[in-house]
Amino acid sequence: MQAGVASSAALLSSTALAQETTLIPSRGPGDTIDGSVTYASRSPFVKDGKMRGSANGLSGGGITPLQNSQGMVTPSGLHFEVHHSGVPEIDPSEHKLLIHGLVGDDKIFTMEDLMRFPSVSHFHFLECAGNGMGEWMGPRGQTVQQTHGLTSCSQWTGVSLKVLLNELGVRGDAKWLLAEGDDGARMTRSIPMWKAMDDAYLAYAQNGEFLRPEQGFPLRLIVPGFEGNMNVKWIRRLEVGDKPWWTHHEVTEYADPRPDDKIRAYSFVMEARSVITSPSAGMKLNGPGFYEISGLGWSGAGTVSKVEVSTDGGNTWQNANLQAPVLPKCHTRFTMPWNWDGKETTIMSRTTDDTGYTQPTYDQMYKLQGPIGMMHNNAIQNWHIAQDGEITNVRS
Amino acid sequence: MSVHKITLIAALGATLAFGTLYASAQEKYGFGRSVDADEVARYDGDIHTDGTGLPAGSGNVALGAEIFEIQCALCHGENLEGVRAMGAGSMHEGRRDIELLPYATSLFDFIRRAMPLTDPGTLSNDEAYGLVAFLLNETGVVDDANLTLDAASLAAIKMPNRPNFIIDPASRFTAEDLKDN
Repeated sequence: MQAGVASSAALLSSTALAQETTLIPSRGPGDTIDGSVTYASRSPFVKDGKMRGSANGLSGGGITPLQNSQGMVTPSGLHFEVHHSGVPEIDPSEHKLLIHGLVGDDKIFTMEDLMRFPSVSHFHFLECAGNGMGEWMGPRGQTVQQTHGLTSCSQWTGVSLKVLLNELGVRGDAKWLLAEGDDGARMTRSIPMWKAMDDAYLAYAQNGEFLRPEQGFPLRLIVPGFEGNMNVKWIRRLEVGDKPWWTHHEVTEYADPRPDDKIRAYSFVMEARSVITSPSAGMKLNGPGFYEISGLGWSGAGTVSKVEVSTDGGNTWQNANLQAPVLPKCHTRFTMPWNWDGKETTIMSRTTDDTGYTQPTYDQMYKLQGPIGMMHNNAIQNWHIAQDGEITNVRS
Repeated sequence: MSVHKITLIAALGATLAFGTLYASAQEKYGFGRSVDADEVARYDGDIHTDGTGLPAGSGNVALGAEIFEIQCALCHGENLEGVRAMGAGSMHEGRRDIELLPYATSLFDFIRRAMPLTDPGTLSNDEAYGLVAFLLNETGVVDDANLTLDAASLAAIKMPNRPNFIIDPASRFTAEDLKDN
């Protein structure tokens, strides 16, 4: 009873107080619900975008803004893109895939046929072998988008190559596949049969919807963990053979010239790599105090087992937290709490995967690959923090 | 236990009771349409390293030089130096050096399939043979200004850099993968 009296008194007193305070006025009704808008857009306040371009309008692409990325998935509209003959517009009702060669039966599949097969769905990163090639001779990128923006991560859904190849019956002498795209340049790459039968698939969907045109609509190859170029878009043909084809893109673009003038062929696996996305070059710290260091780690050979972060120029390293889910051949978000003391320093990350491989330094990379061997650059990235909080891309 | 796991176990149970749920090499879904060799040929334009797929026709250095001037020089430069503003690098040095190529078939395949940039797939077989002859002579790979190429002679070219292509442990490939080449 006494308690009841006490609360009534409190209620009276707060009522009196509220009458003396002017509430922030309601913003009133928002935009009317327009039935003609069937696909939502971003807030006009969100400006992050790809940097997109091409010298000749047809070969080129766009890089992902990693600096404000969150979690591990890249929105489909921000996924990096590289093209060799522009972006074709393909009517899925007319698209066909031919599989032929060292198989029991040569067959053409429509999209409808392909979507009748049992589906598979996986989160996988895709990274262009040239991600960071501009950094090979020295730090150049002004932001992490420019240094590392040729990697992205999506949930891909499609049909397993193993299911398709078993459907046709693969001959015993089959060792390689040629995958060919339906762009103007008919991009082709040779895929080892063991990889095709292990975990490769043809994706028709990305992040819960059909592929975007610049991601290969209506059908693309996903070769998990292998260099982006092998994940042939707009795929129209798979030929089963007994040898690799050594097409233009596998010999002049993506093989790795070593310091001894030998050329490493078959450098398909995108080895373990990580980068701090925030804070990163182009940003400025607003005085000493708490910051969360956040970044991405990934490995084309397996699963990220740890990411270590150094905030003192590589002298000491601490294990970062790995945000779930941590999946094979997939971006993994890492975070680490950090109190900046306001002194000049250099921060960096390095990852180790479950094969035991640790991301190398530039000095280690230069022993593997020569001056024109700038592809597959997975070296540790350093960000320098000046006393005024300005962050820049540095080598040491 | 999640509903999905229960469903999966039920499905496995059904599989054991009624036979395989998914197709094996013996059991087919039956989707897709079988095609004959003529239909495959309309799709299959690639060239194998042993020359399989090279078409009839021939072309010499002079024809190649003429076509290069009309179709290629704008981006690749009069002397194969590459025009940066057009996105093309040198064919004399760096990653696109013609001398780095392990097989001449890669060059023919790419030119006929993907070039010229604005009108890919429109070169005749003779023109493509001529361009390969021109490029090999111009870069000194084959020092013969009268070089004429056709299917047999192109397949027979031994590119000097072929032995430099190797597989090392950094590629995570094994000797088993290497022996196929």
